[in-house]
Amino acid sequence: MPEVVLKNLPFLLAGLRVTAEIAALSIVGGTVLGLAIGTLRYLRVPLLAPALDLYVAFIRGTPLLMVLFICYFALPALLGYKTSAYSAAAFGFIAFIAAYLAEDIRAGLRSVKPGLMQAALATGLTRAQALRLVIVPIALRNVIPTLFSQYVRLLKFTSVASVIGVNEFTGSAMLVNGREFAPITIIGFIALTYLAICFLLSAAGRVLYARLAVRT
Amino acid sequence: MTNPPIIALEKVSKSYGTSPVLRDCSLTVARGEVVVICGPSGSGKSTLIKCINALEPYQSGSIRFDGVEVGAKSTNLPKLRTRIGMVFQHFELYPHMSALDNIMLAQVHALGRSRSDAKTRAEALLARVGLADKADAFPLNLSGGQQQRVAIARALALDPEVMLFDEPTSALDPEMISDVLDVMVALATGGMTMLVVTHEMGFARRVADRIVFMDHGEIVEDTPKAAFFTAPKTKRAQEFLGKILAH
Repeated sequence: MPEVVLKNLPFLLAGLRVTAEIAALSIVGGTVLGLAIGTLRYLRVPLLAPALDLYVAFIRGTPLLMVLFICYFALPALLGYKTSAYSAAAFGFIAFIAAYLAEDIRAGLRSVKPGLMQAALATGLTRAQALRLVIVPIALRNVIPTLFSQYVRLLKFTSVASVIGVNEFTGSAMLVNGREFAPITIIGFIALTYLAICFLLSAAGRVLYARLAVRT
Repeated sequence: MTNPPIIALEKVSKSYGTSPVLRDCSLTVARGEVVVICGPSGSGKSTLIKCINALEPYQSGSIRFDGVEVGAKSTNLPKLRTRIGMVFQHFELYPHMSALDNIMLAQVHALGRSRSDAKTRAEALLARVGLADKADAFPLNLSGGQQQRVAIARALALDPEVMLFDEPTSALDPEMISDVLDVMVALATGGMTMLVVTHEMGFARRVADRIVFMDHGEIVEDTPKAAFFTAPKTKRAQEFLGKILAH
């Protein structure tokens, strides 16, 4: 490993840890929120579904950096609260990815054949039970590849948080570069690291899908 | 009439938008009766039986199950549906669960049975349909005939008073049809009230009490079995019978 990287390794690894934390928080939080939004839109719940339609359209039409700026500058100013860059970034990433995951999950729900809902209802399950026990589990299993490609996108996008001052991996590496002036080495190192962790995340998704996918 | 019918349809009509699907259908089924519904595709047979457990809504008329109006807003549909078992043409087993779990699910969540009671009952039903060794198999590893038998066991698990069958053998390869029909015959001779939409006239001849013939959304004939096969009253029924008995 190049000397300039070795010298600054603890600092860089601390940044990598922040990246991993934000990614993990956003993946979990975004999936839970995305599931809720996707399901509510799938069911066309009155009042909520149209409101969520607007939310999804807004997020999908807004650059990630803008979403982060809104979470870090605009919302605290408008609503009168204080937030750290880290919290704003986590909040922003969750809000961002949930909109995309919601669409993927909604597509997954719609791809479950309607006969299964009928069969579940015919056995005396309520609509809510049928969704919880049959439809949603099947839909989620089938969209695992799509979800994981969103997760990998998110992992790479966490680098944007450096713009609002979060000391995640890219931000830390740029600080090191500012001191050491070895851009090729440093950028090479962070690029390879991102490649490695994205590969691991994709591989995890493939393993999970192989184990859980169902054919309907 | 000492025993009121368990199912009573009175002038049931249904349309999809402007297309009528059911026209003024009236039908009763007594406890213990086996009624076979036959007719050409699009005659409304599947729609009719799906109205009985409210899987399909209807616009006018009345459907009463054991005196309860199925279409009434006040009716507790999940509870009602636990009394009616349904078997579908395409089996509709939950693909993410084993055969045993398929049969246990509604017992636990709709009837509130304990998991161990549900498991015992599920195992007994699997044995009854000849699939005791397939408890842990997943639907994708079962043949169509096996899946349908698991589906029958799943419907029976709730101890329903009536079993509805929507073309249960139409999606099966010929060599598997008799396995499924044997299970259905055993159910019928055991006294289960059954309403079966099917083209299997051999089955009808064996166990049906009455045959109902539908065409273009109407109930054209509703006759005791023997009379239907020897002398159908209407020309449409005669033509239909001629065509399906030809091969």
